[in-house]
Amino acid sequence: MSQSVLKTLEKFSLPLVAAAFLLLAPILTVQRTTDFIIFCIFVLAYDLLYGYMGRLSFGHMLYLGVGAYAVALFAEHVSANPFFAILAALASGVAVGLLLGPIIVRTTGACFALINLAFNQVGFFLALTAFAKWTGGEDGMATFFDTVWILNFDNRYTVFGFSLFSLILVVFLMRRLTMSPFGILLRMIKENETRVQFLGYNTHRYKLLAFILSTTIAAFSGALTILNYTYVTPSFIDTTRNVEVIFASLIGGAGSVFGALLGGVSYMAISNYLPNYVQRWEMFLGIALLLLVFKFQTGLWGFIVARVSGFGVEKDR
Amino acid sequence: MISTIAYGLTIGGIFYIISIGLSLTFGSMRIVNFAHALIYMAGAYILFASMSLFKGWFIPAAIIAVVSVIPLAYVIERFVIRRLYGESIDLAIIATYAVLLIGVDITKWIWGATPIPVSDPVGKSLPVLGVDLPVYRLIIIVVSILIFICLEIFFRKTIVGKIIVAGLEDREATTSLGINLDKYFSIVFILGSSLAALGGVLYAPITTVHPYMGFQVILISFAVVIVGGLGSMRGTFVAAFALGMVMSVTGRFWGPAAEAMVFAVMAVVLIFKPVEV
Repeated sequence: MSQSVLKTLEKFSLPLVAAAFLLLAPILTVQRTTDFIIFCIFVLAYDLLYGYMGRLSFGHMLYLGVGAYAVALFAEHVSANPFFAILAALASGVAVGLLLGPIIVRTTGACFALINLAFNQVGFFLALTAFAKWTGGEDGMATFFDTVWILNFDNRYTVFGFSLFSLILVVFLMRRLTMSPFGILLRMIKENETRVQFLGYNTHRYKLLAFILSTTIAAFSGALTILNYTYVTPSFIDTTRNVEVIFASLIGGAGSVFGALLGGVSYMAISNYLPNYVQRWEMFLGIALLLLVFKFQTGLWGFIVARVSGFGVEKDR
Repeated sequence: MISTIAYGLTIGGIFYIISIGLSLTFGSMRIVNFAHALIYMAGAYILFASMSLFKGWFIPAAIIAVVSVIPLAYVIERFVIRRLYGESIDLAIIATYAVLLIGVDITKWIWGATPIPVSDPVGKSLPVLGVDLPVYRLIIIVVSILIFICLEIFFRKTIVGKIIVAGLEDREATTSLGINLDKYFSIVFILGSSLAALGGVLYAPITTVHPYMGFQVILISFAVVIVGGLGSMRGTFVAAFALGMVMSVTGRFWGPAAEAMVFAVMAVVLIFKPVEV
């Protein structure tokens, strides 16, 4: 095996990703695969900040939750057209990014993680208690969507197809984005922000843009989640679930699109099937995280890349 | 109104006791230590366990709780945090969070997930300006102020304290004087952890003891540390009482908003005073 194999694989990556999920569908049932796909979109959104820009967010569930509630509330009060509802979710993702971004993006490292966490806590409180009249509080709310053209979102296959299409779109956009000068700039900011500033770039603007992109994609994945589940509860904005996406990002290998996909699928497979066999699930998660931090920092994708392209080649991270 | 102020001061005192450790580890090692929540929770659980051993006698049980977290803190420092000194901050956050998850699961394994109430060890009330205040809460306020005074003396008058302050200010310069800072930072870590356990012990009779109690408090403690300024002991003291008051006053008008208000205050502080790590 050599690097040319990887290059060829990358050329046909989009059809390969689609084929992989189509193969998974009969194995895991369609609804579960849809779940996997949507989670992968969320991991991609997260990885844009963590893997590429080097900012660990500990509150990304907030942005997923914003999208989820935006879709549900829009469908309930304005129009039950699913596409308009998704547009509303995207708009609310942009709005949250614009509102919180200027505060959050100024910080780095630990503070960045904690501020996201704090805002997530506030968002959870708003959804659970403050706006309980509209969001249904702890009980959540059910959502109903109209059939548009031939797309009936009550049908599992429609949701599956639409999610898969969305994933391919997001993967395509992310690959274009991360290979563009903007993506390279983000990676430079991760390595050394001061030097990027010396080169004359206004790093604040780029970080803000990346943050808004990440919140928007996260809100999009939240919207898709609601299309899949057809109900929304505060568990979609729960702070304690943040560790899921961090774990998925680490397990796959941060800072690469395929790593994010691999991590998303692996995490979902573990969390869906392992509790059937292992009772102490949190302990397993903790030990696995410690192992990843101390032994396998490059994750699964980093491991595969190192194997395929031979040892001694520059690592992904 | 008096009782609101007293409650604010009480929880402010507890936030201060818990946040010292976080503020010190943040200031010395630039590490966000989620395992702090584990030690806080361990303190409360060991208190509960040893209370039944001493037939409900509070003070020896409290001492046992504070002392017995020291080996736990040492293990966490030695095998997780010290290995991540030079590494990125992100990995340290994830690793300590993993330790917290493991600890919570072990706690659930031993004691179950049901909340355990701990009764007020004093049980008497004192009339202050016409309002009956539980003596226990007044004791907490006094203890927290005593700890503040003791720490001020420790950091300003003793050699060990001065070395730690110097290490917080400039790590390289202190090391180049031939001082083994790692050793002193372990002392700091264990000191902070014992105080976290003390916080858990003191807070247990006011709330209930349950496996997820750490998650709630650690977030507020982080807010205290950020509002007070990283590694600033006096800032932590002021911020803890200020946020305690914020929580208690908000809670008086609208209970569920109390915690969210703390984070709103933190956001406002961050807008005007960006923190640099």
